[in-house]
Amino acid sequence: MKDRGVIKELAVLIPALGTLAALVLCVCAGSVNIPAEKVLSTVWNGIWGRPQSGAEVSIILRVRLPRVLCAMLCGSALSLSGAAMQGLLRNPLADGSTLGVASGASLGAASAILLGIRFPGVPLAGTMVTAILFAFLSLAAILALAFAMDRSLSTHTIILIGIIYTMFVSSAMSLLVTFSGEKLRSITFWTMGSFSGADYPQVLILLGTLVVCGAGLVMLSPELNAFSGGEKNAAHLGVNVKAVRFIVLVLVSVMVGVCVSVGGSVAFVGLVVPHILRRLTGPDHRVLLPACVFGGAVFLMLCDLCARTLLSPVELPVGVVTSMIGAAVFVVVFYRTRKGVR
Amino acid sequence: MTGKIISLFLCVMMLAGCGPALAEDTRVTVTDMAGREITLDAPAERVVVLQPGDAEILYAIGAGDKVVGRGAYVDWPEEALEVPSVMSGYETNLEEIIALSPQAVIMTVMSQTEEQVKALEDAGIRVIVTDAQSLEDIYTCIALLGAVVGRNDEAKELAASMRAELAGIAAEAKALGSEGKTFYYEESPLQWGLWAGGSGIFFDDLCAMMGMKNIFGDLSGHNSVSEEQVLALNPDLIFTTTMYYGEGPAPDEEIASRAGWENVSAVKNGAILFDNTSSIARPGPRVVDAAELILELLRTLAAGNNAA
Repeated sequence: MKDRGVIKELAVLIPALGTLAALVLCVCAGSVNIPAEKVLSTVWNGIWGRPQSGAEVSIILRVRLPRVLCAMLCGSALSLSGAAMQGLLRNPLADGSTLGVASGASLGAASAILLGIRFPGVPLAGTMVTAILFAFLSLAAILALAFAMDRSLSTHTIILIGIIYTMFVSSAMSLLVTFSGEKLRSITFWTMGSFSGADYPQVLILLGTLVVCGAGLVMLSPELNAFSGGEKNAAHLGVNVKAVRFIVLVLVSVMVGVCVSVGGSVAFVGLVVPHILRRLTGPDHRVLLPACVFGGAVFLMLCDLCARTLLSPVELPVGVVTSMIGAAVFVVVFYRTRKGVR
Repeated sequence: MTGKIISLFLCVMMLAGCGPALAEDTRVTVTDMAGREITLDAPAERVVVLQPGDAEILYAIGAGDKVVGRGAYVDWPEEALEVPSVMSGYETNLEEIIALSPQAVIMTVMSQTEEQVKALEDAGIRVIVTDAQSLEDIYTCIALLGAVVGRNDEAKELAASMRAELAGIAAEAKALGSEGKTFYYEESPLQWGLWAGGSGIFFDDLCAMMGMKNIFGDLSGHNSVSEEQVLALNPDLIFTTTMYYGEGPAPDEEIASRAGWENVSAVKNGAILFDNTSSIARPGPRVVDAAELILELLRTLAAGNNAA
């Protein structure tokens, strides 16, 4: 009994320490070389609010730290969303992006730029609110369509409509770009993704979203497990199928909407991270979802580190890195699974 | 090189003109900036020009009356706006251009595909490709366009006066202590990822004439750069050509308000220049205006220093 308790504690400790290690690495390494001890002492003094000055302090506290934190939190949120969608829809290809929520959020953000929707004094608030709103609306549209076609809201219907909706939204996006003239340049951001210019208000918004929505999803793990035997089975096990599905979809769309408005569309995170972790943790969502919080954080922090440093002083869009690493890892995992190597 | 070829050709032309026995040969052969050799039967009288910088050159050498169509973004000088506009760039519409029955179409390397060039040439229209990146490229481009529309003398005059004006501005800038100052040339704001102009572009050349150093001089052309680098390299001056639509803070205010940028010399000294006249971004005669804007900023800074 005692041994098992220790193992359980270790099981939480190791990913937490791993994430912390990745966080430290990503804050210490960057486009500008600053010695690690200088970085750590600056961060330490910054935490305690001690006054410091100099270009290096600005770089560490104002540029690098908020950016790493945003990548970390977005990674967690996107991976959690992906894992929850895959569990709920029993479809390995489900993700915030395949559902059309991410594209919907991008379209919302892009329209906000074009129409000049903004709240005075609060930069980015206009695009953020519109992105979340569009994520919700996308969800509502997809669900309504799916419900009209198939009252049981079967998973295949939702996925299919999600894909059709994504196509519709991307053509709407192209239409916007065509009419946008020179504003087009900022719209490309929403399709490539970037954490450049991240700041602490964004970190706080992401953190709040992750705590509320992430905790909600983790609490729903037993219900998600019940879904793995099929929706009928879940109903037989006493799960309120429609309510759970609705709540999960709402939580996912809020997380995806917020992530998109901060970092643009960062592809592949919600697909790759849960797939890799599932091989380590097994399909139990009570273990998988917390693992995704850590795994997603580490994955996106490291991808952003590559984006920041590989071609320094030139920067890559983070979506390029996640897609390249993600696709390669995905193929390997998929191949091994198919070959029955466990 | 191109300039040499053109001048060589002009000499041949002049000699040919002197020969009493020869019938008048009006043919013009030029090598455009994509390295293609193009022969026109006579200097073009009807021209469609897609890129704003090229259009500005044509107007500056007194060939504005030959412009029968302009790219949608051509907006200087004002009289150019009276000319019918056609789609340019990725949306280049060949039918629109052919309908204006020009003898020559002037487009940039960026805004045309081989298929488009071929389609126009099949329609009997000569296509002249320009590609002005550096300051020298602009002079080459002026000579090229001068030859195309038969305004060689005016082209030479324009180039010479530009060189003289720029030299004067550079000398005045140096007198104001521009030498050794570092600058950062921002083309896309932080929110969408910073883009900076590096070496090999005419704006960099203008600053180099004043003895100033680009903090991203090691990179050529336009690059997405790291915010950390800007802070570490601590530029004395910041220039921005970010698009501004009158919503929210203007680009120079936005730069000054960025978290962590308060220690950058340019921000501390208020040495941020936002160009809303488009002269900084266009390879044409108005690069002189761009240089003038830089000089103006240097004057303001010097006045501030003296007052303090």
